[in-house]
Amino acid sequence: MTPLIETRGVSKHYGAFRALDDISIAVRAGEFVSIVGPNGAGKTTLVNLLTGLLVPTNGEVYFKGENIAGVGPVALATRGMARTFQLVQIFPQLTVAETIGAAVVTHQGKQWRLLSPLLADEAISARVAEIAGIFGLEQRLATLSRLLSQGEKKLLDVASAFALQPQVILLDEPTSGVSTAEKHTVMKTLVGAARAAGVDAIILVEHDMDLVASYSHRIIALSEGKVLADLPPDAFFADPAIIETVVGKRRGH
Amino acid sequence: MSAFGNILLGGIFHAAVLFLVAAGLQLVFGVQKIVNLACGSFYALGAYFGITFVTLALKAGMPQWTLLPLLLVAGAVMAVVGPPIERILRTVYDRDESFQLLLTFAMVLMFQDIIRFLWGANPTSLDNVQLVYGKIVAGDFIVPVYNLLVIAAAIGAAALIGLFLQRTNYGRLLRATAENRTMAEALGVNVRGIYAAVFTLGTLLGTVGGALVVPTAAASLDMAVEVVIEAFAVVVIGGLGSMAGALAGSLLVGLIRAGSLVFYPEFEILAIYLIVIGVLLLKPSGLFGKPAA
Amino acid sequence: MRRAPSVILIVAAVVALGLVPVLAPPFYANLLVPFYGYAIALLGFNLLFGYGGLLSFGHAMFLGLGAYGAAVIAGVWGIKEFEIVLIGAALAGLVVALPLGWLVVRYTGIFFGMLTLAFGMLTHSVLFKFYHLTGGDSGMRVPRMRLLGLEFAAYNKIELMAGPFYYYCLALMLIAAFLMWRIVHSPFGLHLRSLRDNAQKALYLGVRVHQFRLAAFVISAIYGAIGGAILGFRTGLADPELVYWTHSGHLVFMTVLGGFSSFLGPIIGALALTLLQDQLQSYTQYWRFVLGAILALVVIFLPRGLAGLAADVGSFLSSPRRRPGPVQLPEHSQPGVLGPGLRRDDVA
Repeated sequence: MTPLIETRGVSKHYGAFRALDDISIAVRAGEFVSIVGPNGAGKTTLVNLLTGLLVPTNGEVYFKGENIAGVGPVALATRGMARTFQLVQIFPQLTVAETIGAAVVTHQGKQWRLLSPLLADEAISARVAEIAGIFGLEQRLATLSRLLSQGEKKLLDVASAFALQPQVILLDEPTSGVSTAEKHTVMKTLVGAARAAGVDAIILVEHDMDLVASYSHRIIALSEGKVLADLPPDAFFADPAIIETVVGKRRGH
Repeated sequence: MSAFGNILLGGIFHAAVLFLVAAGLQLVFGVQKIVNLACGSFYALGAYFGITFVTLALKAGMPQWTLLPLLLVAGAVMAVVGPPIERILRTVYDRDESFQLLLTFAMVLMFQDIIRFLWGANPTSLDNVQLVYGKIVAGDFIVPVYNLLVIAAAIGAAALIGLFLQRTNYGRLLRATAENRTMAEALGVNVRGIYAAVFTLGTLLGTVGGALVVPTAAASLDMAVEVVIEAFAVVVIGGLGSMAGALAGSLLVGLIRAGSLVFYPEFEILAIYLIVIGVLLLKPSGLFGKPAA
Repeated sequence: MRRAPSVILIVAAVVALGLVPVLAPPFYANLLVPFYGYAIALLGFNLLFGYGGLLSFGHAMFLGLGAYGAAVIAGVWGIKEFEIVLIGAALAGLVVALPLGWLVVRYTGIFFGMLTLAFGMLTHSVLFKFYHLTGGDSGMRVPRMRLLGLEFAAYNKIELMAGPFYYYCLALMLIAAFLMWRIVHSPFGLHLRSLRDNAQKALYLGVRVHQFRLAAFVISAIYGAIGGAILGFRTGLADPELVYWTHSGHLVFMTVLGGFSSFLGPIIGALALTLLQDQLQSYTQYWRFVLGAILALVVIFLPRGLAGLAADVGSFLSSPRRRPGPVQLPEHSQPGVLGPGLRRDDVA
């Protein structure tokens, strides 16, 4: 089976600085893969390469068998890849319904309908209501995004990404800024929503090793721009040297 | 050759005056991130007041050679409009840049009528003073010494601003504030005071520039708006917020203007703005500007 | 959203405008014709500014394009059908705005403003200096034209303006406003607003940032050119002042005065400024000072303009207990670039 996403020998250099060096990884349908590593290991660069934002210095990035290097977020959004951001991204002056609606419009290919009333489009509003329901935002549809609580903003950010009905979703530290007690709840909502929305594969970038251990099928550890490990959780956490590099000495694992 | 020399010196003289106005614009943008459309109004204010001040002073018996110092004083006096205007602008520092731009546009409208009220609608000029310092003649090549003094004054101003920003403590504070306002505030820098000082200095550069130009050209109501258009071209070409850019941009604009006035007057603003557009498209941050985030 | 009261208000306003030529001396109807031109132009301008978040400081160039287009089509070519002039002006707006927009929409914020200002100034100097083509500072004459094929030979110019042309422009404005209402409430309008609020997020939701900005730019240019054609017919002249940057500033002024965060704001602003300027000019030669002061006050104290003020007053009057409280943020969507005191980079 061809992987959904695959990188072959991908490098990204900024002058003499090698942010990523010869990365070859693959994510298959049905997988939950976590990307971990200390700050500066190249996680963000990898995410930007996977989402077609950056063009690799060397190597290729494939999504569903097509080279997507540098095609840009818009093309990927329509082809079935979505991402969320570490820092919550909202449209301050759009309502919850409008925010999700923007993604639904893309998904249904209606963005060039210049004169048709949005509110009268039942296919759009039905899908908006459905997505909002999955994330528990159905009571907030008419609320301006900037008036939401921090947690609701986060949910909305993710909900709008799911509304693209992606095959792959890339979650960049989805629980940053969420209290430790709530992290598992948020992750459960996200994973449940991913199943409900029919997402084939999830890529999670995360610092929190508990979350990584609980949800991943496979863990890819980056260190100084290279793949340090690409292992299932059992094998991953059995290797103290890897844990040491990834987590540092902060915690007494 | 002498025609070329005249164009060159004419262009440099214009560039010198333009540099003062553009430097004021740059300073205010660099530190306060406001594009001050009213900088042209300060220029006009300096020009009109310079005429009045010099006329009165000469009538009161001041010798003719005091022309340049008198004009500098007149420009400096007019900088008093800076602080109250800064006080008004302060109300929109936290708002979107379009509001800031609009507020300075409101100032342009108001100053135009203030000048009309005080000095009337007809152009006024300072007659027979441009040559008080004599002129240098070499064949067809004629240049009033006054023009050379103004060029020297502008170079002096550029050097002083450079020294002030690079070498003095206050200059460093100013650059730190320009770099990162929040950080500067956190470190205890009196940002409010710096903004007031910077805006006043920006005003001063404009009013002095206006005062210095009056021995060579009449003051008119249109001059405010016209100089904004040129100063604006200067800062775009040189790069918003950059002093070196203001210098290079002024020279370029001054020389193009002088050249096209002689060879093909239709092309004056056209040539300048074609370069502006070229720069914006090829290097939006300008020749010396930092790339926009 | 509670629509009913505003629908009644709008119908009442349209009826009132329709009665002006009947009830008031021709002077007033004649005075309002430019208002219709500005209102149409500003509807387009605000698609770009209020909904797209792009402040153009050179938009007067498109009004000039419409007026000069009218002068060329009707004056030089002798095609004196106003409908053909309107189509020609719209086409001219399209043809100029496509390449221009393609260049400028790659920039936002102050750079977009500067670039449009630069193009506006370039247009001005072309119109001003190439007098053998454009008449230089005296401009080009825009002759009297037929409306819907009718000559209205019995009417003199004032009567034409205050009668048939007045209603013609009112109808044009209503059509333009209806179409714009549909545009801003369409899926396209939603995407445009989303990229105004947060372009990065919008990109990842599949919003075609440059294409949508370009589309908004082109539509606003077409609206501007149509408005300019009306202004040209009204004054009988297309002159470079129409394109000068202070005229662009005037357009921004009207929009902010009315309130760019509401659909009708620009129309209200155009009406308010047209009437205000006329009154001020009859009182004092220093009307620019008063206008400048008003602009400053609006910018400082009424960032949402007259429309925002009216909405606040309206919600205050209709609230069950009329007590002064803290200003409440409107709960439903607002097209504005800014809420009260909200910075554009205020993205959590």
